[in-house]
Amino acid sequence: MLFKNVIRTLKRQYIQLLLLGVIITLSSFIYTTMDYGVGSILVATEDYFDVSNQEDFAISMIDMILEDDVAFISNSCSLTTNVFTLSALKNVDKDCYYNLMENRLNIIENEYTGINIELRESKDVYFDHNSSSYRIRFLKGNSEINKSFFVKGNAPINNSEIAISEAFGKSNDLEIGDKINVNGSEYIISGYVLFPDYSLPLFSANIIIDNKSQTLGLLTNQEFENLSEYVEFEISGVFTNDSVEAGFKENVIDTLSENDNLPFVTNIVLTQNNMRSGAIYSEIEGGQAIGLMLSLVIASIAILIVGIMVSKILHSQRGAIGILKSMGYSNSQITIPYIFFIAILSFPALILGYYLGSLAATPMANLYRIIYLLPSFYINHNIKTFTVAVIVPFSFLIVVSYFIIKKILSQKPVELLNPEKLSNTSFLAKAMGKYLKKIKITGKLKHLLLYRNMMKFIVFLIGMFFASFLILFSLSMVNIFDKLTVNYYENTNHNYIGYCDYVLPCDEPIGSQEKVIELPSVILDNEQVYLVGLNSNSSIHNLLDNKGNNITNKLEDGLIVTKSSSLLKGFKIGDDLLLEIGDDSVVIKVVGITEEYNGNKVYMSRADLGNILTSSKDYFNTVYSKTTLDKDHYMAIISTQKIMEQSEIMQKLFEIAFRIMIAVSFVIGAIIIYILTVMTIEENFYNISLFKVIGYNNKEIDKMILGGYLLYGVIIFLITIPIAILTFIVFTYFFAQYYEMVFPFEFKIWHAVVSTAMFLIMFNFGAVSAKRKLNKISLQEAMKMYQI
Amino acid sequence: MSIKLENVTKTYFSGEVETHAVKNVDLEIMNGEFIVLLGPSGSGKSTMLNIISGLDNPTSGKISIDNEIISDMNSKQLTKFRRDNLGFIFQQYNLLQTLSIGENVEVGREISKSPFTLEEILEQVGLSSQMNKYPFQLSGGEQQRVSIARAVVKNPKIMFCDEPTGALDEEMAKDILGILQKLNRTYKTTVVLITHNPSIGAMADRIIKINSGKIVRIIVNKNKLKASEISWG
Repeated sequence: MLFKNVIRTLKRQYIQLLLLGVIITLSSFIYTTMDYGVGSILVATEDYFDVSNQEDFAISMIDMILEDDVAFISNSCSLTTNVFTLSALKNVDKDCYYNLMENRLNIIENEYTGINIELRESKDVYFDHNSSSYRIRFLKGNSEINKSFFVKGNAPINNSEIAISEAFGKSNDLEIGDKINVNGSEYIISGYVLFPDYSLPLFSANIIIDNKSQTLGLLTNQEFENLSEYVEFEISGVFTNDSVEAGFKENVIDTLSENDNLPFVTNIVLTQNNMRSGAIYSEIEGGQAIGLMLSLVIASIAILIVGIMVSKILHSQRGAIGILKSMGYSNSQITIPYIFFIAILSFPALILGYYLGSLAATPMANLYRIIYLLPSFYINHNIKTFTVAVIVPFSFLIVVSYFIIKKILSQKPVELLNPEKLSNTSFLAKAMGKYLKKIKITGKLKHLLLYRNMMKFIVFLIGMFFASFLILFSLSMVNIFDKLTVNYYENTNHNYIGYCDYVLPCDEPIGSQEKVIELPSVILDNEQVYLVGLNSNSSIHNLLDNKGNNITNKLEDGLIVTKSSSLLKGFKIGDDLLLEIGDDSVVIKVVGITEEYNGNKVYMSRADLGNILTSSKDYFNTVYSKTTLDKDHYMAIISTQKIMEQSEIMQKLFEIAFRIMIAVSFVIGAIIIYILTVMTIEENFYNISLFKVIGYNNKEIDKMILGGYLLYGVIIFLITIPIAILTFIVFTYFFAQYYEMVFPFEFKIWHAVVSTAMFLIMFNFGAVSAKRKLNKISLQEAMKMYQI
Repeated sequence: MSIKLENVTKTYFSGEVETHAVKNVDLEIMNGEFIVLLGPSGSGKSTMLNIISGLDNPTSGKISIDNEIISDMNSKQLTKFRRDNLGFIFQQYNLLQTLSIGENVEVGREISKSPFTLEEILEQVGLSSQMNKYPFQLSGGEQQRVSIARAVVKNPKIMFCDEPTGALDEEMAKDILGILQKLNRTYKTTVVLITHNPSIGAMADRIIKINSGKIVRIIVNKNKLKASEISWG
């Protein structure tokens, strides 16, 4: 019977309960989606990298036969022609080439202990087919490091077989068993292959990645050797000793330029810092930052609010609990049905959220595979995610409910059956009463009714604060994705970037073209940055501060750093920073921060930079242009439009993740406002009825009851704005410091306008719903009930 | 103000079950009269008071107050009518806990066209010295006096009292009834009081006995007693 009583009682609040169910579901959904979405990639990627033994570092070598090599060749090879490059040597004398390579590998192994290394060879084949251009980078199959990984099918076993990436196959309708014509040779596709050193198919300085026109490929080693294209090579390495790994950057990479024993080594890059193999790590770290931090913040707020709402619902059951207690029911007999129904309402909602979240995680995780070459993901349900998404919030709600009921039950039945008598009036009510002495009683009531029960008032304020926070939080993320990706390019006036050849200098820019110097890796204050030398009077690339002012001309006085490098590296206006370029070093003051959020970019005057590099203020290595550049005159030309498209594709996961969080935060915020308003008005049921009986009309009653809540709701909303802005700043610095990720949350006036409009809409919607419900109860009945 | 009920019926429906709370009642209450509606619990007296006062609508029949037909009024018109003409006192005091005694009375005064002064009314109910206290600092009887003051301060033409002494002991109850009687005499306010206590009928001009939703008897009281003279049953 008690169960039936509880069902019928709670049934009266079915809309609130349903909406609370929605919040509970969303909280579980968002955490599960993010955690499984990112977690599954992490697990699958780590497994894949382990199985295929991904390199820990890559060593680049100069493709030139050096003095020491000549000595080696003359001792061990019988060359009849003069060759100057290793790639040419391979075409002339393959054995000699491999002997020389083995010698270089031995030199490296003798120089450094605790590592294993292996030669990594590749050949790029360009071909046209059906009037489209394609490129395949064939990697020679390795036996130890960066082993090929088959997601489907098998490795080629004869020279007429080829393995390609699944992304390329699907984009071109190529299935395993189909034939593919590569530069006149026909191959049968034996499988879909991946290589762990190319999780991002980045084949050249041109960062345009398109899995439809380019792929990695695998042939038999014999067929690889048969390809006439020049070989490219690197050395892949793994650590065999943890202590070596820990000191590798300091002991090996940073001292490489001083090491005379390795003249043929041009660069050593750790996998984490190598874009083609390491970008996925920063992607996953970013995903974790979003998935685990932000979604956890949203879910925690949601569950906290649900706890408060459940508390309000249970307090409304005070009278019913009093009756049962007076009839002789034991505390546990009364408690169990309430706890049971809260459990059966919240548990399915949490399970539903978890289930939907795990479903949404798969397509979200697969967004990585649009651009990254990774194996397919399967959501492996794990107890940790289930615990955080379901068990923890469920336990929280049950424990909160239990303690609330326990507290109610600690009172005597007679106390529960009678009005909750105030033994005193709150300090605030007294103070406000004196302060508002001269204003009309209806105006006074607007405030004093709220202070009647400070606890309820505080709950209202906390609820509204979190609702406002979630709405502002969602709006602050609206432009975050564009800021991280395309805003920089949209704000510039150049459409093309031409990179000059290292050997042949560029032509002098014409028309609106401008000279620029780009140095991708420069040490500034012991931090690696991307230095751009820009004309201080540039009209093609304006540097804007956070107020939109053009600060490009400040380059004459020093450095302008991007907002992202300021956040990530801690550079501030007024800092004197040591800039090291080769053997030169100079101290330069930071004079401005430009509102750019991608990369560790720093700008300085091109003339000053040219002077440091070449003692000439006219030096440049890059050209920015509004119009198309002649591809014969540049090593590489990048279209900013293409980069924008590329950035959007590459950061698809971020985009989707942000969109989900924006929607979920907004909906939860709106629901909280609605439920709080309904509950608040229902709590004032007796007052509303009393005022009606006395003769107050609806307008006057609204002014007294709703007016106060509306006023304080708006006040708390306005208070939330600076708190939210402060929190966004903290979040931004937190992510920059701990995750090296820039999340440019922002607050705009229209956010406040939209949020206020949303608040007013939901408040009035809740008010109308609640009043409609209250109007069904007759006034005389209301007056006979006890007041709270 | 005079009140006239013509063939008034109030029926409640619960599924297929019909309950006639008030059945074909005809009644006329004169201006300035002190009327007691007397009946046992469930007799329909509260329903009748609610219908007469416009807090509830009759299922059929006509109710008019000074020729204004309130049974035809919509909610907005009824609110206006209550505001201008009626005062209510219930068994529960329904005081606003955050307001002082004076402020609680102000709640009634503020919407009236021709209210009494706060001081005058508090004097009438004997609470002048308690004006700045809060409800929780008063006894039950004192709180009921505040609710009377709140109802009377509007200068209503009619006072409806639903078991106003139901929660009070004899001494306090007589005290409250005395105040109502004084107001009735002083301001010529029509008072309609419902009670299950027959003793209270001794102070009324007329006693209307109700049972099963019908008026079973109307007694004209020729020997009205003061509230303090009532022998409590």
